[in-house]
Amino acid sequence: MIVGTRKPLAEIQDMVKKYDRLLLAGCDTCVAECASGGRREVAELAAALQMAFRLAGKEMDIQEASVDRQCVHEFLLDVVEAAQETDAVLSLACGAGVQALADRLPETPVFPALNTLFIGETAQRGLWLENCRGCGNCMLGLTGGICPVSRCAKSLLNGPCGGARNGLCEINLAKEITPEVPCAWLQIYDRLAALGELDRLLELTPPKDWSCGDASGPRRVVREDQQA
Amino acid sequence: MNQKLNVVLMACRQAVPDPSLLINPLEHAGLKARVIQEPCSSKVEVFQMLRTLASDADLLWVVGCPEPACQLVEGSFRMAKRVGHAQEYLREIGLEPERLGMTQLPANNQEALAATVKEILERARTLGPNPARVGVSVEKE
Repeated sequence: MIVGTRKPLAEIQDMVKKYDRLLLAGCDTCVAECASGGRREVAELAAALQMAFRLAGKEMDIQEASVDRQCVHEFLLDVVEAAQETDAVLSLACGAGVQALADRLPETPVFPALNTLFIGETAQRGLWLENCRGCGNCMLGLTGGICPVSRCAKSLLNGPCGGARNGLCEINLAKEITPEVPCAWLQIYDRLAALGELDRLLELTPPKDWSCGDASGPRRVVREDQQA
Repeated sequence: MNQKLNVVLMACRQAVPDPSLLINPLEHAGLKARVIQEPCSSKVEVFQMLRTLASDADLLWVVGCPEPACQLVEGSFRMAKRVGHAQEYLREIGLEPERLGMTQLPANNQEALAATVKEILERARTLGPNPARVGVSVEKE
Protein backbone atom coordinates (compact mmCIF):
# COMPACT_ATOMS: atom_id res chain seq x y z
CA MET A 1 0.00 0.00 0.00
CA ILE A 2 0.92 3.64 -0.32
CA VAL A 3 1.97 5.15 3.00
CA GLY A 4 1.60 8.82 3.79
CA THR A 5 1.49 11.18 6.75
CA ARG A 6 -0.51 14.31 7.37
CA LYS A 7 1.18 17.60 6.68
CA PRO A 8 1.52 19.98 9.64
CA LEU A 9 -1.80 21.70 10.32
CA ALA A 10 -0.26 25.16 9.86
CA GLU A 11 0.91 24.25 6.35
CA ILE A 12 -2.54 22.93 5.43
CA GLN A 13 -4.22 25.97 6.90
CA ASP A 14 -1.96 28.27 4.94
CA MET A 15 -2.77 26.50 1.66
CA VAL A 16 -6.53 26.93 1.98
CA LYS A 17 -6.89 30.12 4.01
CA LYS A 18 -8.13 32.23 1.10
CA TYR A 19 -11.20 30.03 0.56
CA ASP A 20 -14.50 30.03 2.44
CA ARG A 21 -15.97 26.66 1.45
CA LEU A 22 -13.77 23.61 1.60
CA LEU A 23 -14.30 19.95 0.77
CA LEU A 24 -12.10 17.41 2.54
CA ALA A 25 -11.80 14.28 0.43
CA GLY A 26 -10.53 11.07 1.99
CA CYS A 27 -9.49 7.78 0.46
CA ASP A 28 -10.53 4.60 2.25
CA THR A 29 -7.86 2.26 0.94
CA CYS A 30 -4.10 2.69 1.50
CA VAL A 31 -4.08 5.92 3.47
CA ALA A 32 -6.93 4.67 5.63
CA GLU A 33 -4.84 1.61 6.52
CA CYS A 34 -1.95 3.82 7.57
CA ALA A 35 -4.34 6.07 9.52
CA SER A 36 -3.62 9.25 7.62
CA GLY A 37 -6.35 9.76 5.03
CA GLY A 38 -9.42 7.62 5.66
CA ARG A 39 -12.82 8.90 6.74
CA ARG A 40 -11.76 9.07 10.40
CA GLU A 41 -8.78 11.23 9.55
CA VAL A 42 -10.99 13.38 7.32
CA ALA A 43 -13.30 13.96 10.28
CA GLU A 44 -10.34 14.76 12.56
CA LEU A 45 -8.85 17.23 10.13
CA ALA A 46 -12.23 18.85 9.44
CA ALA A 47 -12.79 19.51 13.14
CA ALA A 48 -9.20 20.63 13.61
CA LEU A 49 -9.34 23.08 10.71
CA GLN A 50 -12.70 24.36 11.90
CA MET A 51 -11.19 25.17 15.29
CA ALA A 52 -7.92 26.55 13.91
CA PHE A 53 -9.74 28.91 11.53
CA ARG A 54 -12.17 29.92 14.27
CA LEU A 55 -9.24 30.89 16.49
CA ALA A 56 -7.95 32.94 13.55
CA GLY A 57 -11.31 34.71 13.36
CA LYS A 58 -12.71 32.92 10.33
CA GLU A 59 -15.74 30.64 10.10
CA MET A 60 -14.90 28.05 7.43
CA ASP A 61 -17.60 25.95 5.75
CA ILE A 62 -16.08 22.46 5.65
CA GLN A 63 -17.70 19.44 4.01
CA GLU A 64 -16.43 15.88 4.20
CA ALA A 65 -16.42 13.06 1.66
CA SER A 66 -14.55 9.81 1.30
CA VAL A 67 -14.30 7.32 -1.53
CA ASP A 68 -12.95 3.81 -1.76
CA ARG A 69 -10.12 4.73 -4.10
CA GLN A 70 -9.28 8.27 -5.08
CA CYS A 71 -6.81 7.08 -7.73
CA VAL A 72 -9.58 5.45 -9.82
CA HIS A 73 -11.76 7.85 -11.76
CA GLU A 74 -14.91 5.73 -11.50
CA PHE A 75 -14.82 6.07 -7.71
CA LEU A 76 -14.64 9.86 -7.80
CA LEU A 77 -18.18 10.68 -8.86
CA ASP A 78 -19.47 11.54 -5.38
CA VAL A 79 -16.49 13.74 -4.58
CA VAL A 80 -16.68 15.52 -7.92
CA GLU A 81 -20.35 16.23 -7.30
CA ALA A 82 -19.74 17.46 -3.74
CA ALA A 83 -16.90 19.65 -4.98
CA GLN A 84 -19.30 21.69 -7.12
CA GLU A 85 -20.51 23.41 -3.94
CA THR A 86 -17.05 24.33 -2.64
CA ASP A 87 -14.26 26.76 -3.42
CA ALA A 88 -11.42 24.26 -3.04
CA VAL A 89 -10.74 20.62 -2.26
CA LEU A 90 -8.27 19.31 0.27
CA SER A 91 -7.40 15.73 -0.58
CA LEU A 92 -6.20 13.27 2.03
CA ALA A 93 -5.22 10.72 -0.62
CA CYS A 94 -1.75 9.87 -1.85
CA GLY A 95 -0.23 11.97 -4.62
CA ALA A 96 -1.86 9.78 -7.26
CA GLY A 97 -5.28 10.34 -5.71
CA VAL A 98 -4.77 14.09 -5.49
CA GLN A 99 -3.87 14.23 -9.16
CA ALA A 100 -6.75 12.01 -10.25
CA LEU A 101 -9.11 14.31 -8.40
CA ALA A 102 -7.50 17.46 -9.83
CA ASP A 103 -7.86 15.94 -13.29
CA ARG A 104 -11.58 15.56 -12.71
CA LEU A 105 -11.95 19.08 -11.30
CA PRO A 106 -10.37 21.41 -13.87
CA GLU A 107 -11.98 24.52 -12.36
CA THR A 108 -11.49 23.75 -8.68
CA PRO A 109 -8.17 24.04 -6.84
CA VAL A 110 -7.13 20.74 -5.24
CA PHE A 111 -4.54 20.66 -2.45
CA PRO A 112 -2.71 17.77 -0.76
CA ALA A 113 -3.18 17.30 2.97
CA LEU A 114 -0.66 14.45 3.10
CA ASN A 115 2.95 13.88 2.26
CA THR A 116 3.11 10.62 0.31
CA LEU A 117 6.07 8.59 1.50
CA PHE A 118 6.47 5.06 0.20
CA ILE A 119 5.06 1.65 -0.73
CA GLY A 120 5.00 -0.17 2.55
CA GLU A 121 3.79 -2.85 4.86
CA THR A 122 1.86 -2.62 8.12
CA ALA A 123 4.51 -4.29 10.27
CA GLN A 124 2.59 -3.90 13.52
CA ARG A 125 -0.09 -1.61 14.91
CA GLY A 126 1.14 1.93 14.33
CA LEU A 127 4.29 0.92 12.45
CA TRP A 128 4.60 1.05 8.66
CA LEU A 129 7.80 0.10 6.88
CA GLU A 130 9.10 0.96 3.43
CA ASN A 131 9.41 -2.39 1.71
CA CYS A 132 9.24 -1.52 -1.97
CA ARG A 133 10.61 1.29 -4.09
CA GLY A 134 8.89 0.28 -7.29
CA CYS A 135 12.24 -0.23 -9.02
CA GLY A 136 10.56 -1.98 -11.94
CA ASN A 137 12.84 -5.01 -11.86
CA CYS A 138 11.97 -7.12 -8.83
CA MET A 139 14.77 -9.25 -7.39
CA LEU A 140 12.89 -10.69 -4.40
CA GLY A 141 13.20 -14.15 -5.93
CA LEU A 142 16.95 -13.98 -5.45
CA THR A 143 16.91 -12.55 -1.96
CA GLY A 144 14.50 -14.74 -0.07
CA GLY A 145 11.61 -12.30 -0.32
CA ILE A 146 13.47 -9.46 1.40
CA CYS A 147 14.12 -6.40 -0.75
CA PRO A 148 17.64 -4.95 -0.52
CA VAL A 149 16.69 -2.04 -2.77
CA SER A 150 14.24 -0.63 -0.22
CA ARG A 151 15.38 -2.19 3.05
CA CYS A 152 19.16 -1.80 2.74
CA ALA A 153 20.08 1.82 3.45
CA LYS A 154 22.58 1.68 0.59
CA SER A 155 20.35 -0.37 -1.71
CA LEU A 156 23.24 -2.80 -2.14
CA LEU A 157 22.57 -5.56 -4.63
CA ASN A 158 25.38 -7.69 -3.17
CA GLY A 159 25.65 -7.18 0.55
CA PRO A 160 26.13 -6.73 3.37
CA CYS A 161 28.42 -3.73 3.63
CA GLY A 162 30.96 -3.44 6.41
CA GLY A 163 28.75 -1.29 8.61
CA ALA A 164 26.42 -3.89 10.07
CA ARG A 165 26.75 -4.42 13.84
CA ASN A 166 24.90 -7.05 15.86
CA GLY A 167 22.44 -7.58 13.06
CA LEU A 168 21.66 -3.89 12.78
CA CYS A 169 22.22 -1.38 10.00
CA GLU A 170 24.78 1.31 10.74
CA ILE A 171 22.20 4.06 10.24
CA ASN A 172 21.12 3.30 13.83
CA LEU A 173 24.41 4.88 14.93
CA ALA A 174 23.63 8.17 13.23
CA LYS A 175 20.25 8.75 14.86
CA GLU A 176 17.94 7.10 17.35
CA ILE A 177 15.45 4.92 15.52
CA THR A 178 12.77 2.90 17.30
CA PRO A 179 12.51 0.05 16.55
CA GLU A 180 16.07 -0.21 15.27
CA VAL A 181 16.63 -0.87 11.57
CA PRO A 182 17.95 -4.38 10.94
CA CYS A 183 20.61 -5.10 8.33
CA ALA A 184 18.54 -6.29 5.35
CA TRP A 185 21.41 -8.37 4.03
CA LEU A 186 21.78 -10.26 7.29
CA GLN A 187 18.03 -10.85 7.18
CA ILE A 188 18.43 -12.15 3.62
CA TYR A 189 21.26 -14.44 4.75
CA ASP A 190 19.25 -15.80 7.70
CA ARG A 191 16.18 -16.32 5.54
CA LEU A 192 18.07 -18.16 2.79
CA ALA A 193 19.92 -20.24 5.40
CA ALA A 194 16.59 -21.26 6.93
CA LEU A 195 15.31 -22.19 3.46
CA GLY A 196 18.49 -24.13 2.69
CA GLU A 197 19.12 -21.89 -0.31
CA LEU A 198 22.32 -20.09 0.63
CA ASP A 199 23.76 -21.06 -2.74
CA ARG A 200 21.72 -18.22 -4.21
CA LEU A 201 24.21 -15.82 -2.66
CA LEU A 202 27.08 -17.35 -4.62
CA GLU A 203 25.81 -15.61 -7.73
CA LEU A 204 26.73 -11.96 -7.99
CA THR A 205 23.92 -9.67 -9.03
CA PRO A 206 24.99 -7.42 -11.92
CA PRO A 207 24.45 -3.65 -11.84
CA LYS A 208 20.78 -2.85 -11.84
CA ASP A 209 19.00 -1.41 -14.85
CA TRP A 210 17.47 1.65 -13.23
CA SER A 211 15.77 2.66 -16.48
CA CYS A 212 12.97 0.30 -15.39
CA GLY A 213 12.61 2.45 -12.27
CA ASP A 214 12.15 6.17 -11.90
CA ALA A 215 15.31 7.07 -13.80
CA SER A 216 13.73 7.33 -17.22
CA GLY A 217 10.82 9.69 -16.80
CA PRO A 218 7.19 8.94 -15.94
CA ARG A 219 6.41 5.27 -16.26
CA ARG A 220 3.23 3.81 -17.64
CA VAL A 221 1.64 0.43 -18.09
CA VAL A 222 -0.46 -0.24 -21.16
CA ARG A 223 -2.75 -3.27 -21.33
CA GLU A 224 -4.69 -3.25 -24.54
CA ASP A 225 -6.84 -6.16 -23.42
CA GLN A 226 -8.08 -4.00 -20.55
CA GLN A 227 -8.79 -0.93 -22.61
CA ALA A 228 -12.21 0.14 -23.85
CA MET B 1 -23.25 37.03 27.72
CA ASN B 2 -22.74 34.98 30.82
CA GLN B 3 -23.31 31.42 29.64
CA LYS B 4 -22.55 28.43 31.81
CA LEU B 5 -19.38 26.54 30.98
CA ASN B 6 -20.26 23.35 29.15
CA VAL B 7 -18.52 20.13 30.16
CA VAL B 8 -18.99 16.99 28.09
CA LEU B 9 -17.95 13.65 29.55
CA MET B 10 -17.48 10.49 27.53
CA ALA B 11 -17.61 7.77 30.12
CA CYS B 12 -17.26 4.01 30.14
CA ARG B 13 -20.42 2.36 31.53
CA GLN B 14 -18.37 0.14 33.79
CA ALA B 15 -16.43 3.02 35.30
CA VAL B 16 -19.50 5.27 35.64
CA PRO B 17 -22.64 3.11 35.89
CA ASP B 18 -24.66 6.08 37.17
CA PRO B 19 -23.88 9.27 35.19
CA SER B 20 -25.90 11.42 37.59
CA LEU B 21 -23.09 10.99 40.13
CA LEU B 22 -20.95 13.09 37.79
CA ILE B 23 -23.61 15.38 36.34
CA ASN B 24 -25.27 16.48 39.58
CA PRO B 25 -22.25 17.82 41.48
CA LEU B 26 -20.98 19.59 38.35
CA GLU B 27 -24.36 21.23 37.72
CA HIS B 28 -24.71 22.19 41.39
CA ALA B 29 -21.38 23.94 41.03
CA GLY B 30 -22.76 26.03 38.17
CA LEU B 31 -21.57 24.12 35.10
CA LYS B 32 -23.62 22.61 32.32
CA ALA B 33 -22.72 18.92 32.14
CA ARG B 34 -23.56 16.07 29.80
CA VAL B 35 -22.39 12.46 29.96
CA ILE B 36 -22.16 10.35 26.81
CA GLN B 37 -22.10 6.74 27.93
CA GLU B 38 -19.71 4.44 26.12
CA PRO B 39 -19.47 0.64 26.18
CA CYS B 40 -15.75 1.19 26.80
CA SER B 41 -13.60 4.33 26.80
CA SER B 42 -11.65 2.86 23.88
CA LYS B 43 -14.73 3.44 21.73
CA VAL B 44 -14.04 7.17 21.86
CA GLU B 45 -12.32 8.17 18.64
CA VAL B 46 -10.02 11.14 18.10
CA PHE B 47 -12.40 12.70 15.59
CA GLN B 48 -15.24 12.49 18.13
CA MET B 49 -13.15 14.32 20.70
CA LEU B 50 -12.19 17.04 18.23
CA ARG B 51 -15.72 17.39 16.89
CA THR B 52 -17.09 17.75 20.40
CA LEU B 53 -14.61 20.49 21.21
CA ALA B 54 -15.34 22.18 17.87
CA SER B 55 -19.09 22.10 18.40
CA ASP B 56 -20.19 22.56 21.99
CA ALA B 57 -17.70 21.66 24.72
CA ASP B 58 -15.64 24.09 26.74
CA LEU B 59 -14.06 21.09 28.40
CA LEU B 60 -14.15 17.45 27.33
CA TRP B 61 -13.36 14.65 29.76
CA VAL B 62 -12.96 10.97 28.93
CA VAL B 63 -13.53 8.55 31.80
CA GLY B 64 -12.39 4.94 31.64
CA CYS B 65 -11.56 2.16 34.05
CA PRO B 66 -8.10 1.67 35.50
CA GLU B 67 -6.07 -0.25 32.93
CA PRO B 68 -5.94 -3.57 34.84
CA ALA B 69 -9.71 -3.45 35.35
CA CYS B 70 -10.69 -2.83 31.72
CA GLN B 71 -13.18 -5.46 30.56
CA LEU B 72 -11.82 -5.19 27.02
CA VAL B 73 -8.30 -5.74 28.41
CA GLU B 74 -6.53 -2.90 26.62
CA GLY B 75 -9.41 -0.45 26.21
CA SER B 76 -8.21 2.06 28.81
CA PHE B 77 -4.67 1.81 27.46
CA ARG B 78 -5.91 2.65 23.97
CA MET B 79 -8.09 5.46 25.29
CA ALA B 80 -5.06 7.07 26.96
CA LYS B 81 -3.10 6.86 23.70
CA ARG B 82 -5.96 8.44 21.75
CA VAL B 83 -6.40 11.22 24.25
CA GLY B 84 -2.67 11.91 23.92
CA HIS B 85 -2.96 12.01 20.13
CA ALA B 86 -5.96 14.35 20.29
CA GLN B 87 -4.08 16.62 22.69
CA GLU B 88 -1.21 16.81 20.19
CA TYR B 89 -3.76 17.92 17.60
CA LEU B 90 -5.06 20.59 20.00
CA ARG B 91 -1.53 21.95 20.39
CA GLU B 92 -1.27 22.24 16.60
CA ILE B 93 -4.62 23.98 16.48
CA GLY B 94 -3.45 26.47 19.07
CA LEU B 95 -5.96 25.40 21.70
CA GLU B 96 -5.01 24.40 25.23
CA PRO B 97 -4.55 20.60 25.33
CA GLU B 98 -5.89 20.75 28.88
CA ARG B 99 -9.37 21.23 27.40
CA LEU B 100 -9.29 17.50 26.91
CA GLY B 101 -8.86 15.60 30.15
CA MET B 102 -9.10 12.00 31.18
CA THR B 103 -9.49 9.91 34.29
CA GLN B 104 -9.18 6.22 34.89
CA LEU B 105 -11.79 5.78 37.56
CA PRO B 106 -12.35 2.65 39.67
CA ALA B 107 -16.05 1.76 39.65
CA ASN B 108 -18.01 2.59 42.82
CA ASN B 109 -15.11 4.47 44.38
CA GLN B 110 -16.76 7.59 45.86
CA GLU B 111 -13.47 9.24 46.84
CA ALA B 112 -12.02 8.91 43.35
CA LEU B 113 -15.29 10.16 41.86
CA ALA B 114 -15.28 13.23 44.11
CA ALA B 115 -11.64 13.91 43.21
CA THR B 116 -12.49 13.70 39.50
CA VAL B 117 -15.41 16.12 39.90
CA LYS B 118 -13.13 18.52 41.76
CA GLU B 119 -10.47 18.28 39.07
CA ILE B 120 -13.01 18.88 36.29
CA LEU B 121 -14.48 21.88 38.11
CA GLU B 122 -11.09 23.47 38.68
CA ARG B 123 -9.99 22.82 35.10
CA ALA B 124 -13.19 24.26 33.61
CA ARG B 125 -13.00 27.39 35.73
CA THR B 126 -9.30 27.90 35.02
CA LEU B 127 -9.69 27.55 31.25
CA GLY B 128 -13.01 29.35 30.86
CA PRO B 129 -14.95 29.36 27.55
CA ASN B 130 -13.48 27.48 24.62
CA PRO B 131 -12.71 30.10 21.94
CA ALA B 132 -12.64 27.43 19.21
CA ARG B 133 -16.16 26.16 19.65
CA VAL B 134 -19.22 27.35 17.80
CA GLY B 135 -20.53 30.70 18.96
CA VAL B 136 -17.84 31.58 21.48
CA SER B 137 -15.37 33.52 19.38
CA VAL B 138 -17.92 36.28 18.75
CA GLU B 139 -18.47 36.86 22.46
CA LYS B 140 -15.25 38.63 23.31
CA GLU B 141 -15.42 41.24 26.08
